[in-house]
Amino acid sequence: MEVQQSLTVCVTGAAGQIAYSFIPLLLSGQVFGQVKINLRLLDIPKMETALKGVVMEIEDCAYPLIGDIQTGSNPKELFKNCDLIVFLGGFPRLPGMERKDLLQKNANIFKEQGEALQEVGKEDVKCVVVANPANTNCLILSRYATKIPRQNFTCLTRLDQNRAYAQVALTLNKPLNSLKNIIIWGNHSTTQYPSIEHATVEGQSFVLPDQGQFIERIQKRGAEVLNARGNSSVFSAANAVKDHIKDWYNGREDTLLSLGVLSNGEYGVQSGLCFSYPIRCLGAFKYEIVGNLQLSDFSKQKLKVTEEELIQEQGLAESI
Amino acid sequence: MQKYLQKALTNQFTRASIAHFGQSLKPPVRVAITGAAGQIGYSLIFRVASGEMLGPNQPIILHLIDLPFAMTALNGVAMEIQDCAFPLVQGIVATDNQTVGFKDVNYALLVGAKPRGPGMERGDLLKDNGKIFTETGKYINDHASRDIKVVVVGNPCNTNCLILANQIKDIPKENFTAMTRLDHNRAQYQLADKLGVHSSDIRKIAIFGNHSPTMVPYIDQMTAKNHKATVDQQWVTQTFIPSVQQRGAEIIKARKLSSAASAGNAAMNHITTWVNGTPEGDYTSMAIPSDGSYGVPKGLIFSFPVTVKNGKYSIVQGLPISPFYQGLLDKTIKELVDERNAVDHLLK
Repeated sequence: MEVQQSLTVCVTGAAGQIAYSFIPLLLSGQVFGQVKINLRLLDIPKMETALKGVVMEIEDCAYPLIGDIQTGSNPKELFKNCDLIVFLGGFPRLPGMERKDLLQKNANIFKEQGEALQEVGKEDVKCVVVANPANTNCLILSRYATKIPRQNFTCLTRLDQNRAYAQVALTLNKPLNSLKNIIIWGNHSTTQYPSIEHATVEGQSFVLPDQGQFIERIQKRGAEVLNARGNSSVFSAANAVKDHIKDWYNGREDTLLSLGVLSNGEYGVQSGLCFSYPIRCLGAFKYEIVGNLQLSDFSKQKLKVTEEELIQEQGLAESI
Repeated sequence: MQKYLQKALTNQFTRASIAHFGQSLKPPVRVAITGAAGQIGYSLIFRVASGEMLGPNQPIILHLIDLPFAMTALNGVAMEIQDCAFPLVQGIVATDNQTVGFKDVNYALLVGAKPRGPGMERGDLLKDNGKIFTETGKYINDHASRDIKVVVVGNPCNTNCLILANQIKDIPKENFTAMTRLDHNRAQYQLADKLGVHSSDIRKIAIFGNHSPTMVPYIDQMTAKNHKATVDQQWVTQTFIPSVQQRGAEIIKARKLSSAASAGNAAMNHITTWVNGTPEGDYTSMAIPSDGSYGVPKGLIFSFPVTVKNGKYSIVQGLPISPFYQGLLDKTIKELVDERNAVDHLLK
């Protein structure tokens, strides 16, 4: 098999659980097709031995598409020449930790990584921030990597979107492929607004028997899975990362998608916030924010709530 | 509650899928995974559900099977599968009931097995797993689709497969195999690394024997980039063979967890190759019922080099076996015969 091109992809938090599930998906060819992937695996020094184990397993999978692999703990080394960086690594919420502490600890990490990007990153590197609080981490990252175009910074709300599609399909008893344009607006948190306002099933708009319950279920699904599994949603998150990158890279004609991107003021949202919007993916990592959808008062209210939370988060994070 | 959940999930997806049968999609197949709430299950289920194992046009109904104590966790896994919004998943059955679990199943990946506890003798491990696989064999014989393809992953996988297949009366015995693909993939990488090529450039290697420290990585006919390639004998005996044998332990040491991702990957590869066939000019490794080839006693579940075509495998015959390899083969044969004797009471 002649593999013509190659891409260099960095994964941070590479010794962690989501990375463990995501790396096989990345190397399976499902995202970029028959393109060789050079891997840069970044984690904290404490995880160096575990990271070696991850590399051994990658070797043992005999993936046809694997290129060369580098590991390390220094972003200034590993971010060089990367075409895509997947930010899985962040400070976890420990018992007894205040939200303020979580935000500030992560802001420090993403400040450092933003600075590394500014110094050594490729001009056009694409970024997907997954580590929570994803939106605010993405905002911080972009603040410190100003040479990189604003539209290259995204955060993950695809997991919420996939969850929303699944719940709607189950509720309506319809196949997934019949659904379009279910959108997640705002923050990847419990204030997110999963909206069916512009969604269709088999081309027709629809209502749900209990919209409030639907919204709440999507907002709290992470906790629901945690209670059942005794562990957080690892694989479904990894799968969502794969979907986010795949559609961002390849484009999607048939439906709008949810990605957290830096706002230019669309829908009256404060400019510069990282906000999940309805996105048209055009292919080759190009997209446009669909900024002209009519919103009901109900929707506008929901947007205000999640925007308010993001403004607060930004304030807390920036006090570092 | 559990039965309702299983039924509810299956019916909703099945009803929802009826309108969806387009021309490009085949009718769904049922894929069972045991030990589904465990680590290897977690790595395997999602990749199967995404279409990687059987292709993007093959809808799947998942049968996830585990023990009663794991049902809550298993329902969490089922929730996560839903949260992936996989277009190919047309149903999920999550159960501890093997009648329901194996009903009409077309592919089974038997990951679940009793693990080795501290102080446990190999003999105890064999006996305990013997009971499990005797049961499972009966359920598969009585309820699975007559064309089911089975790969036993849970260890000791060769002998577990032997015990399982012993319960089968109404399904061809050649449908029951065990996994040595992980050893094969590991060997492939080690050789590629030694020769400075990509692992996909290594062809014509195979694993003979038991999935255990006595496994035989056979590299006599190896090619790298389609040219015959050799490596020095000392490296083979002192570095290569021990590396492949000890790789699992090495990964546990580094990760503090077992090699779930690569094991799940190999289980998937095993089935994919069995369905799609081996590439031209190459062979793969599968542990299958011996027909006496290479002097291996008939009926032992033994890993051989095989080519696969149209869903059927054939042992690659006539490969030269040097005295060095014969010695290794004798050891692994003896080990499997001893294992068979240890579970003799379970075999008719």
